[in-house]
Amino acid sequence: MAGVYIYSDRMDLAAELVGFVKENQNSAQVLCFTQAEADQLTSIGADKVCYLQGDSPLVENYGQAIAEYLKQANAELFVVGATARGRDLAARVAGYLDCAMVSDASSLSLESGKLRAERMMYGGAVVQSEEITGLCVVTVAAGKYQPVTGSASVETVQVTADNRVKLLETAPIVKEGVDLRQACNVVCVGLGLEKEEDLKIARDLAAAIDAELGCTRGVAEERHWLPVEQYIGISGAIIKPQLYISMGVSGQVQHVFGVRDAKVIVAIDSNEKAPIFRSADFGIVGDMYEIVPLLTQAIKG
Amino acid sequence: MSKIIACYKWVADEADIKINPDLTVDLKKAKGKISDYDRNAIEAAVQAAGSLGGKAVSLTFGNASAKQSLKDALSRGPEEGYWINAEEAATADGSITAKALAAAINKIGDYSLIICAEGASDTYARQTAPRIGAALNLPVITSVVQMTFNGNSLTAVRKLEDSTETVQTELPAVVAILPEANEPTIPGLKAVMAAGKKPVTEYTAADLGIDFTPKNQVTAVKGYVMNRKNIIFNEGSTADQVKALAAALRKECVL
Repeated sequence: MAGVYIYSDRMDLAAELVGFVKENQNSAQVLCFTQAEADQLTSIGADKVCYLQGDSPLVENYGQAIAEYLKQANAELFVVGATARGRDLAARVAGYLDCAMVSDASSLSLESGKLRAERMMYGGAVVQSEEITGLCVVTVAAGKYQPVTGSASVETVQVTADNRVKLLETAPIVKEGVDLRQACNVVCVGLGLEKEEDLKIARDLAAAIDAELGCTRGVAEERHWLPVEQYIGISGAIIKPQLYISMGVSGQVQHVFGVRDAKVIVAIDSNEKAPIFRSADFGIVGDMYEIVPLLTQAIKG
Repeated sequence: MSKIIACYKWVADEADIKINPDLTVDLKKAKGKISDYDRNAIEAAVQAAGSLGGKAVSLTFGNASAKQSLKDALSRGPEEGYWINAEEAATADGSITAKALAAAINKIGDYSLIICAEGASDTYARQTAPRIGAALNLPVITSVVQMTFNGNSLTAVRKLEDSTETVQTELPAVVAILPEANEPTIPGLKAVMAAGKKPVTEYTAADLGIDFTPKNQVTAVKGYVMNRKNIIFNEGSTADQVKALAAALRKECVL
């Protein structure tokens, strides 16, 4: 069956991707690897749920099997949810198919066999438009498309896993930090903060506006002042709060990528040339040690 | 001696990118650098050579400008450098990059481990390691934060969004490491001096015998503009500025 094939290890994201395909009036086939997933996926509006049954607990081990399946099915496009596992699997499938791939597409359209896609480059400073003819693999992050409903039947297919990588153990990550992606307001500290104990002024501001505390990559990975889950940027948390207030953040593109969907961006930094001011709605140039406590007071009062 | 190959990319430093008013992208003044996360890949290869045994080497696929990267890479610890010197690198997509690297890896031969970063700081496409694995039909482990070796066996800890996984495979294998995996050494003067004396092997596009026609046709490259208000409060005392900011935030209904 030609058409678009979909996979995500996150069921909600798989549903969004079906929404994308249906927006474009294509046929949507969703792949999955367990009976439980198959059961969940029958109601998300796909034309068919393909349960690929094999003996590996790691979906990445089905890269070659999926490539062969898609080739046989004469697939036009394979859309994969952009999670760690999804990106890995997608690139393996593209590798085994020796076909084009667009990673983390920010926009997509499929017209008469030609795929047009946009994606971010240089940490979000640049948008690249691409055109691909022929079979292509694309990864798409969550939150871009609306899920739809509708029922589908399940087809079970036996596949062979590449079991050279064995799973020994899996453990949930106990999040030390908060889930910034869900936060309504975020206060973010950058390397302009001089000492770890100075985090207090940021925490006080965060408490005043009921915000979560985030940071730049350097604060988490070089100084280890906050858990890595709390750094914002292209390789960290990508957030969309109502209000984002940065203090001592220079605003490198990789960081700004993570906040571009914020409703209001506020920058407080001593360097008037810092790029963060170009990405901000409101800014004050000056000493954050003076400004931030005043702002906390002004908001409380 | 078996080789541990660190792949890296010489990229334009995004801090120097200029976006012109017509949204064209000016890379002329951008300095080159080893892609940030690739420094972790090089460090991981050097550390792996220490515990696994073998020789850490570096491999890059770049055009003439990547020549500058060789000494930089070697100052970070690898014993030998390999460079695919091909103008085609400038237009390469994920498929070509992986195939070029895989072809060079076959030429280098006798390898136990290939280490990449998750993604490059220009494209951040995160395709290279899995695609090299497919091209060479090797086992692949991505999102790696820790590696331990026991004989010919690699045990790796992967960090995914909500869980960690411990997996095992037999070498040779391809891994993609996360920046949290290590802290890259900053090369000292001695290391920089020594790097110039390390052997470098250069391959040309023709040496690799692959088709360099990209499958992804780039139709436009434009600066991304975030439409923001860009209002700076600079009137009066700091207290006045803060008051004006608080008033603006109330008006936006975000307080």
